[in-house]
Amino acid sequence: MNITPTKNTKDSIKISRIFIYLILIIFAIYYLLPLYVMLTNSLKPLEEIRAGGMLNLPSVWTLDPWRSAWSTAQIGVDPSGLKPYFWNSISMVIPAVILTAILGAMNGYVLTKWQFKGHGIVFGMLLLSCFIPFQIVLIPMAKMLGILGMAGTTSGLVFVHLIYGLGFTTLFFRNYYAAFPTEIIKAAQIDGAGFFRIFWRVLLPSSAPIIVVTVIWQFTNIWNDFLFGASFADFDSIPMTVALNNLVNSSTGVKEYNVHFAGAILAALPTLVVYIVSGRYFVRGLMAGAVKG
Amino acid sequence: MATVKITNLHKSYGSVEVLKGINLFIEDGGFLVLVGPSGCGKSTLLNTIAGLEEITSGKIEIGENSVAGLHPSKRNIAMVFQSYALYPNMTVSQNISFGMEMKGVKKPEREQAVNKVAETLQISELLNRKPGQLSGGQRQRVAMGRAIVREPEVFLFDEPLSNLDAKLRIDMRTEIKRLHKRLGSTIIYVTHDQIEAMTLATKIAVLKDGCIQQFDTPYEIYNNPNNMFVANFMGAPAMNLIEGKIAKNKKNIEFEMKNSKSETICLPIQGINDIEQYIDKTIICGIRPESINDLDPSLNKSAVEREVVVDVVEPAGSDTFAVVELGEKQIVARLNGNSKVSVGEKVKLTFDLSQTVFFDSETEDRIR
Repeated sequence: MNITPTKNTKDSIKISRIFIYLILIIFAIYYLLPLYVMLTNSLKPLEEIRAGGMLNLPSVWTLDPWRSAWSTAQIGVDPSGLKPYFWNSISMVIPAVILTAILGAMNGYVLTKWQFKGHGIVFGMLLLSCFIPFQIVLIPMAKMLGILGMAGTTSGLVFVHLIYGLGFTTLFFRNYYAAFPTEIIKAAQIDGAGFFRIFWRVLLPSSAPIIVVTVIWQFTNIWNDFLFGASFADFDSIPMTVALNNLVNSSTGVKEYNVHFAGAILAALPTLVVYIVSGRYFVRGLMAGAVKG
Repeated sequence: MATVKITNLHKSYGSVEVLKGINLFIEDGGFLVLVGPSGCGKSTLLNTIAGLEEITSGKIEIGENSVAGLHPSKRNIAMVFQSYALYPNMTVSQNISFGMEMKGVKKPEREQAVNKVAETLQISELLNRKPGQLSGGQRQRVAMGRAIVREPEVFLFDEPLSNLDAKLRIDMRTEIKRLHKRLGSTIIYVTHDQIEAMTLATKIAVLKDGCIQQFDTPYEIYNNPNNMFVANFMGAPAMNLIEGKIAKNKKNIEFEMKNSKSETICLPIQGINDIEQYIDKTIICGIRPESINDLDPSLNKSAVEREVVVDVVEPAGSDTFAVVELGEKQIVARLNGNSKVSVGEKVKLTFDLSQTVFFDSETEDRIR
């Protein structure tokens, strides 16, 4: 059999390549279109949007809608812009992500390397929390927050997200550590390292891919959460998503679409940044956890 | 340097008993090899000595002291694992010095110790690399370095060579033996490779199903196996085990076996006291391939010549192995490497009867 490709097969490979790229480009445009609309319209004065031509580039470029959305737009009763709520979200997301990641890693470590009687049941129950719909826990959670004195506070929201995220982060780390050779743990024991020392010095430094997955997953989920924020936050702890809703859905005054677009982009920006910075690890890490586990 | 004494060791996982009363003693500077098929409990035994697994009952003493309840790091042992178990996030030198760091040894001292070990193992140029950048053989050396730097009283090796390719395995085997000679330390070594066991050990313990089948020197294990399992497990190609009958012809006791054409071949038996009890009974005769050969029978007093049909010829360079038909079973004979026997040929082979052993066909124990 002749294995050098003939001119014919070379050509057909070329054609199929072109075809594949064409389809990929079309889909990329399709997916980028909403972003394009949001960006261009957030940079136009309101009159231009009213005049129609959503897909046109701005004839007058302006950053005013962005300034307005960030610091002066009317949110609920305050003309504060989204700024304070952005910081509310940040001060909720960062501790929640760090805590869920660390506790999830701990859980994964214990469930795979320090197995105790009934570890399967404990893991099963933690997994169950991944399948409970948010709405079911709203009222009991409100009650709990009241008892703990954390109702309407940012730390209350952190607590809620911690409880809710723990199932997922435990699953991620457990599957990752299940594939981590137990012999290495034994070697560290012989070397004289204890429970926490092994965790900090041996296990965590080898967990970069799964930490990235967990951080991205938790960050986007917590940042984008609306229901818990709307249910449990008070005036001074309202997260970005709820504030955006208040901005867009306000029933008084003129609908400033350009400000809404700018606000929506502002709300999506942090997750976008997280994806761009660490996205390439995401798929890799997800594969590592899912396939080997 | 220390002795290791294991007395009546039991280990169960729930209702499953994996070690059923192990008794072993290894002298100071000895090289004990635990050998057996997968799942025989040899790795579990090693883990209990290391303290990585708790024992159900019994006693383990390293030196004068019982190690019951002692943490693995306090037992004066070092272990080399099958997968090397190097810390993936640390460099070679950090890997080697991690144990010292845990003990709180100062940095200059650690570096000195690492450099000394690295020189011994010729891995000095690898010290700043991560395990992921090393080949299998290099990782193996680093793992040994991590063990040596601890200066333990007892080294524990858990199938350290089984992940290496064939040639490297033989090189490393020699190196381990050399290391043992130089350090003079006590070594307990787990393997399923009987050649490793034979070449390295001063004492071999053959395990099966959590019981020691035989605990003796390599020579005794090979030449005087306690039972059929040991006979079959040690040696490559394996010992031929042929079923046959014991018959008394006049005054001589003979072992009778039949070939595929129902012709009887008899081998005389001498010097086995209990054999008279087995007259007219079926027993198993064990004879090593090298005891069936093409040497001149007149050179050996206890040799007899018998005619057999060659079924398969396997030239192996230094020797030629011939599979021949005997006693309803195909058996292996080891012939001279220049032998020109061909398939289907009838040849006369010499049976060296001084090396034959006999087993009870029911208990599989040796008849002595």
